[in-house]
Amino acid sequence: MPRIPVVTLSRYLLRGELPHRECLRLSRPLRPTRRPVPGAPSLGLRPLHSESASSASVPASIQTPAHVPLRKQMKDEAKKAKALGKKKKKNASNQVIEGWELTVGIEIHAQLNTARKLFSAAATSFNDDPNTHVAYFDLATPGSMPIFQRETLIPALRAALALNCEVQPRSSFDRKHYFHWDQPSGYQITQYYEPFARDGRIWLQSRDGIAAEDGDGIPVRIKQVQMEQDTAKTMAQAESTHWIDFNRTGLPLIEIITHPDIHHPATAAALVRKVQILLNAVDACVSGMETGGLRADVNVSVRRTDDPNAPLGTRTEIKNLSSFKAVEDAIIAERDRQIAVLDAGGVVESETRGWSIGSTETRRLRGKEGEVDYRYMPDPDLAPLVIQNDLVNHLQESMGQLPDAEVDELVRDFGLTPKDALSLVALDDGRRIEYFWNVIDALSARLGPDCTTRLSCFQLAANWILHELGRLAANPHDDASRDLIFTSDGQCDRVSVDALADILHLLHQRKITAKVAKELLWVVYRGIVPSQYDSIVDAVETENMWFRELSEEEYNELADSAVDGQDGILQQFVNYKQYPQGKLMFLVGRMVRLGPEERIDPKNAEIVMRQALEERYIPALRQDA
Amino acid sequence: MSIHVRLYRSKVPRGVCSALAVSRHVPRRPLSSVNAYISHAPSRQDDAPHRVDGLGVAVKDNIAAAGLQTTCASNILAGHEAPFTATIVTQMQRLGYSVTGKTNMDEFGMGTHSTSSAYGPVSNAEPIPDRSAGGSSGGSAAAVVTRSAHVALGTDTGGSVRMPAAYTGTYGFKPSYGMISRWGVVPYANSLDTVGIIAPSVPIIEHVIHSIREEHDPQDPTSLPASARARIAKERTSFVPSQRDMPLRGFTFGLPLEYNIEELDPRVREGWSQAVDKIQDMGGRIVPVLLPSTKNALSAYYVIAPAEAASNLSKYDGIRYGERAEDASSDAMDGVLYAKTRGTGFGAEVKRRILLGSYTLSSKAIDNYFIQAQKVRQLVRMDFDRVFKLSNPLRDESSFDLSEMDETIVLENKLGPSQVDFLVCPTAPTPPPKLEDVARQTPLDSYMNDVFTVPASLAGLPAISMPMDIPTDANSAEERHLDFGGLQLIGQYWDDLRLLGVAKELAAKVSAKAGSNQV
Repeated sequence: MPRIPVVTLSRYLLRGELPHRECLRLSRPLRPTRRPVPGAPSLGLRPLHSESASSASVPASIQTPAHVPLRKQMKDEAKKAKALGKKKKKNASNQVIEGWELTVGIEIHAQLNTARKLFSAAATSFNDDPNTHVAYFDLATPGSMPIFQRETLIPALRAALALNCEVQPRSSFDRKHYFHWDQPSGYQITQYYEPFARDGRIWLQSRDGIAAEDGDGIPVRIKQVQMEQDTAKTMAQAESTHWIDFNRTGLPLIEIITHPDIHHPATAAALVRKVQILLNAVDACVSGMETGGLRADVNVSVRRTDDPNAPLGTRTEIKNLSSFKAVEDAIIAERDRQIAVLDAGGVVESETRGWSIGSTETRRLRGKEGEVDYRYMPDPDLAPLVIQNDLVNHLQESMGQLPDAEVDELVRDFGLTPKDALSLVALDDGRRIEYFWNVIDALSARLGPDCTTRLSCFQLAANWILHELGRLAANPHDDASRDLIFTSDGQCDRVSVDALADILHLLHQRKITAKVAKELLWVVYRGIVPSQYDSIVDAVETENMWFRELSEEEYNELADSAVDGQDGILQQFVNYKQYPQGKLMFLVGRMVRLGPEERIDPKNAEIVMRQALEERYIPALRQDA
Repeated sequence: MSIHVRLYRSKVPRGVCSALAVSRHVPRRPLSSVNAYISHAPSRQDDAPHRVDGLGVAVKDNIAAAGLQTTCASNILAGHEAPFTATIVTQMQRLGYSVTGKTNMDEFGMGTHSTSSAYGPVSNAEPIPDRSAGGSSGGSAAAVVTRSAHVALGTDTGGSVRMPAAYTGTYGFKPSYGMISRWGVVPYANSLDTVGIIAPSVPIIEHVIHSIREEHDPQDPTSLPASARARIAKERTSFVPSQRDMPLRGFTFGLPLEYNIEELDPRVREGWSQAVDKIQDMGGRIVPVLLPSTKNALSAYYVIAPAEAASNLSKYDGIRYGERAEDASSDAMDGVLYAKTRGTGFGAEVKRRILLGSYTLSSKAIDNYFIQAQKVRQLVRMDFDRVFKLSNPLRDESSFDLSEMDETIVLENKLGPSQVDFLVCPTAPTPPPKLEDVARQTPLDSYMNDVFTVPASLAGLPAISMPMDIPTDANSAEERHLDFGGLQLIGQYWDDLRLLGVAKELAAKVSAKAGSNQV
């Protein structure tokens, strides 16, 4: 969950205003000042200036007397909590319960990224009109037959290789029987007896978000990966009516089954997240958990830790978890339930349970006596799948870098924090990192081979691609076409690789300020470059936004005016336990406000101010004292 | 030169036409009383002009033909019109046939007497209308024997084309599994289902098989690929009679001793014996062979077929097509989804086999039933592979270790037991039984009927049933019209053309009626 900005929080607390996004969005824009003013004098750029000016005024509006105590209060509480050694999030106590060991195995279903269904030539689709991509076989029309679509094997094999599995030279398809309206033939074709891949392994690292108890990392073994058909989509209507969309029937899925190697809830969630990142990285999977392309079932059992030779406890299965958080929360709830049952002298029954988002406990779906006997039978229409080594080898060689190696490279060679590196790799199903590499290439070309500050420029790029671009997308707007969409080859229509590289290059050379750079980004995002200006340089030139920094003399004059009348603040620099950096920045802030902002580099202003304080004002005060 | 040989030498299509020309002079027997059809093609006379001389093909009601119902003789598919046409029907249309209608059958092909149809039982034609026409393709055989169609399509899962042929005195051919596409054929047991042909004479069948045997259907995953067809065709020859008076010289026929069962009607046994004599008269060599797995084949069949059927029939829930039990607010019963629809839609025999199959696939029983049956199936195939001279082209060449062979098998010489070109045995243990007796049979009794036809189905081999004369007691009015039985020839995989060639030679010799028909 993202951190709620203080602004939003204070608005909610003090004025009862809700953030106006998504379904809560009001038809009337709440912040009219943020909108570009149509017909404003200097066309494109001015509104931006005015906007940023107005956004700068937002903090002013919250500097009401009531606000300060709130911020202070929150700060104090955080300090207190820190002093007590409590972690903000991920309460360690919910990962382990003293005296008990939790064991978890996971089954993950992911939709393969293919053009056709598993056994019919009907197209795969996501949100098309219902029942428009349905072959006779998908409807189980009598007399129709399954034809295995070989192309589906490619992403399936990529997935298996990304999970370090052994691809089986021979596998086969089986029918799993059960009656449900979403299953037209009365059975699902899957690979029960002979899956196409076995014996894989995922190495989970601490940066993947595993529980602290798992230390630096743990391996999780993959038992098998199998191909299978998806079911139809049910659309519940009023009362007892259900509409069925057969577009989804027969879409190719893989089911990934792990060994019960996981002992902490956070690690289970980390595994599912990691699998999603891996599948996206090798282009095996259509979409993430959020869009329903990935679903997980977890098997949970507990046993007392006093006897290490005791067999695993009776397990229950929680079906159909559709988010990482649900995986973790459902496991915690189920573990606690099982322990409570055992503590009360009861027995855990083998059963299937369900979980709804936001719930605090799992609910029983059916017990063992209600379990369906799936009557697995080899499908007599489908020949065994024979996969030869040359195909596997080819896919292995052409697969490219896996996310872990990519994250390592970003941390090692680009100096990114592991957290930033992971986000960059995971964002937009792996398309954001492709965009990053394109920008890096474009910057390399601009910097030339002899540039000594390449690394800091690349770090700047990473920072912008992660955070500044994110800010564009987070800006509330009504126009879906304004969404930042990254293509799988790492392009973005709204902010082209070249435009961003131009901005970053100018910023890196200190030819423009960060503030101007950010405004330029908005300009690009809104399409004003290239509609009104030919290029970034043209825009800077026309609007006279080149960074003409103050001279040292001018800086010093500015420092003097900033300090003027701030004697109380200055006093704090005379005697201190810790250097009052906050006060220094306050004075620097005054410099920026008082001076010509576009000519000030805050870093240099800070240096000048620090110097002025140390060399002139403080000695003067000390003398006074 | 006999007419018979001249027929052979003429071009195949002319052979077909002349055989049909003869058949048209035979007086039609009343059609309605036999209940051969479930639905008729509308105004067949107005059909496409390219049709050769109004040739008609009757199509079993589990084979789809667009524009006509495909009900599988089941209430659960009442009124169901297939949205496409089966590949084999398209192929027959291309050969100049037009569909006369959809023929009656045992519900979903499950039965031996065509009495389990939702449209009432099929009965045999005059002069034995009180007798079974066989099943499950009984309607197709009845359509041929009453001359309402020149040829009929059936399906043979465990004998469903050969049994009706044996009971109606027609020719019923089950080709090698994978030769004729099953696209559009409603499955009963996919690994056994084979489209078969019922005709009044062998040349008609030969013509059809000759025309389509090379055609792979990409819509059927079990249709033998074109490359495999080409490879196997190189290892196969068509039938060439060695000498005019001894056309079968050089051919060896195996007499499977296990087929001489206690339940075999003495007259059928005698007919079989006479047929064997005829083969020898024609120069063929007869050797006894042992197929030790035969005794388990029937049990294996009645595990595998119901298991696949239970799976295949789970699609009938009344939602997307067919009949739904609408009289209640829901088609569920006691909270069980579809129970009402399936409970009222399926007939007793279908329900029995679904239950059987569901049981043998259940997690507790599968090892003892389904898996065992699959092993028996392999043994049955190996039995056949061992006795045939030709090797099975779908298997790697494997030599049989004599020490592993059943000790009851007689060795011909130090190289092993004698090997044969064809097996010759009865199709059915008895002449067609009375329908009223059939009604009194237990399911197990009627399952017994399939004992001779099931082994070839399990191994996917080509087999033909042809009429053969059996001795009659001149004093018995009842026996007078029951003067025929079914003689079955079984060949090695994809030896269909040679099998049909031999059957054509043999037809007139083993059946006096067939001889007279061709004059």
